[in-house]
Amino acid sequence: MTERTGIRPEQAMKMLRTMRTIRQLSERIIPLYPKDVMETPVHLCIGQEAVSAGLCIHLRDEDLMVLGHRTHGPALAKGLPLKSLVAELYGRTTGCSHARGGSMHVYDGEHGIPGSSAIVGGNIAVSVGLGLGRKLLGSEGIGVAYFGDGATDAGVFWESLNFAALKEVPVLFLCEDNGLSNVMPKSEHMFADPARIAGEFMPVYRADGTDVLSVYEEAGRAVAQVRESRGPAYLHCTTKRWMQHQGVLEDDLPYNPIDPEKDCPIVRFEEFLLRTRLATPGELAAVGEEIERDLDEAFAFAEASPYPDPEAMEV
Amino acid sequence: MPWSRFDREWTEPGEGRILEFKDAVREAIDQAMQLDERVFCLGLDADDRYAVYGTMKDLTHPERVMGTPISENACTGVALGLALSGMRPIHIHMRADFLPVAMDQICNYIAKWRDMFDDQCKVPLVIRAVIGRGWGCGAQHSQTLHGLFARLPGLKVVTPATPHDAKGLLLSAIRDDSPVLVLEHRWLFKNEGPVPEEIYFVPLGEGRRMREGRDLTIVANSLAAVHAMKACESEGIDADLIDPRCVKPLDLPLILGSVEKTGRLLVVDYDSPFGGFAAEILAQVAEAGPGILRAPARRLTFPDRSMPASGPLERRFYPDVQRIAEAAHRLCGDPVAAGGVG
Ligand SMILES: Cc1ncc(C[n+]2csc(CCOP(=O)(O)OP(=O)(O)O)c2C)c(N)n1
Ligand SMILES: [Mg+2]
Repeated sequence: MTERTGIRPEQAMKMLRTMRTIRQLSERIIPLYPKDVMETPVHLCIGQEAVSAGLCIHLRDEDLMVLGHRTHGPALAKGLPLKSLVAELYGRTTGCSHARGGSMHVYDGEHGIPGSSAIVGGNIAVSVGLGLGRKLLGSEGIGVAYFGDGATDAGVFWESLNFAALKEVPVLFLCEDNGLSNVMPKSEHMFADPARIAGEFMPVYRADGTDVLSVYEEAGRAVAQVRESRGPAYLHCTTKRWMQHQGVLEDDLPYNPIDPEKDCPIVRFEEFLLRTRLATPGELAAVGEEIERDLDEAFAFAEASPYPDPEAMEV
Repeated sequence: MPWSRFDREWTEPGEGRILEFKDAVREAIDQAMQLDERVFCLGLDADDRYAVYGTMKDLTHPERVMGTPISENACTGVALGLALSGMRPIHIHMRADFLPVAMDQICNYIAKWRDMFDDQCKVPLVIRAVIGRGWGCGAQHSQTLHGLFARLPGLKVVTPATPHDAKGLLLSAIRDDSPVLVLEHRWLFKNEGPVPEEIYFVPLGEGRRMREGRDLTIVANSLAAVHAMKACESEGIDADLIDPRCVKPLDLPLILGSVEKTGRLLVVDYDSPFGGFAAEILAQVAEAGPGILRAPARRLTFPDRSMPASGPLERRFYPDVQRIAEAAHRLCGDPVAAGGVG
């Protein structure tokens, strides 16, 4: 764990709450999922929570972000209300995409999420457009392209880097590198280090994506760079995917070993909070309990919400 | 229902060895690779442990299966280059929804290549992609798109419905010297039917009469053909059921012959309606056979919107056996049972 003391207690607790919300939501989904109450493929974010939490604490509602298929973590961190996400997973009209999107397509106009896409790569270009639009409209906001290591295989990633640099677009490229594209290890899908090459186009920052303080610090620098220069920056966060690509089973790939203590961003951060006396064991427990109550409420809300009317499909 | 629990929906009656659809596809690829060392497969996740839903499992020549990065547009260009350099590539996609990423190569290059140079070269390229609704997968992972691709001059579009046709059509596609897009519906993979062990070819452009009937002609392909068959069997519909097997080239004579006999036409097309496969059949029948229809022709398709994710909407979006039966009864002027799925 990086030893940094500059963090304010309320920010530390906010990041913890974000990470725990993402984790505890996933842990709720796991036993419920086989009951088919959520009829939609889920790409869980267990192990990767620090990337979303450490980034989004620096973002505002006016900063726009179009996500990929792995939406839950970054969407919650950016501000999507828990109950509208859960209702969307339940396919109810009260969901964030009114039951049309499912897990991979979330929308929250209020919190700067104008959508998400499950066709890998394309959202990067869209996010460059978000940044350019912010600039042209005189907004202080920035665009954020949030994508995985697999997306760097796509031509649109490289085209977007070039465009953003050429046209000085205020956009942050955030690569959440879990070392895997489905079951393919990074070494089999990407020949070069995309962060190194991105350095030819824009300032590059690197963070340990299992250490929320590392992400917090580097994302702070990267976001400040984009805001101040009104041009692009790139942040590469290496992290680990604990679950299978999709669904609720633990990953079993021999080349993706997980240490539930050392690789856990939450264990590591809580240990830090206790050691530096930013929080007491009682306070940590209270955060977890509070989130359990939020989850109770969100799931009850989803279950009580109506399904859309199939007759409305008729054209 | 998630794929892992999705089971067999239909078994094609007939004599001989029985295979699942996915194994028929696998056998076609395996035999083609054994027969011709120029046959080479590439595709994202084509070589991983899931083996494209089992269709690439335990091949005799795994060394001729190349996994690719998430670079569909470039890899489609690579596939064209392979074809132009003397190989016979099969480019494989886990979902047809990834094909639009490669639309430049498919539309501007592959479909036009032979024609642009007045047929001086061959383009023996097969693109195999899995189509069909998932399970709350939403707008970007549930598309069919056969109507869209059939719009491109120079591209053949093949949509097998049975294990027999899956093997025979794929072998024809691999043997063809022009680009062929083979779209396999995910819901068909566990269906069974008789499949000869030896290599055989189902000619591209030759449809098949799946059953004889007098009251109306139903034209349906891919999963819709299976559902239409089930509708006829379970709901007592006396339909002549035609599976064109290829969206393009289209076996118009077979369809026309049938409509001349029945005087009624229903096209069941699990794709979007506007300017699509069903629309094309209606147009061609209207052009070629004015006056042969006793009742207005009808099509049953998706609504003209994107696939929704929520279960009740998703189930409504896809026509099914029940709704095919209803549409057929309506077309024939039969009373439609109240309380049916309307
Ligand atoms: C263009 C395209 N090709 C293939 C897929 C299938 N697919 C979905 S997610 C994925 C892996 C993506 O890996 P990465 O970008 O690293 O994101 P992660 O899942 O690791 O978060 C693949 C291949 C897709 N959705 N879109
Ligand atoms: Mg990844």
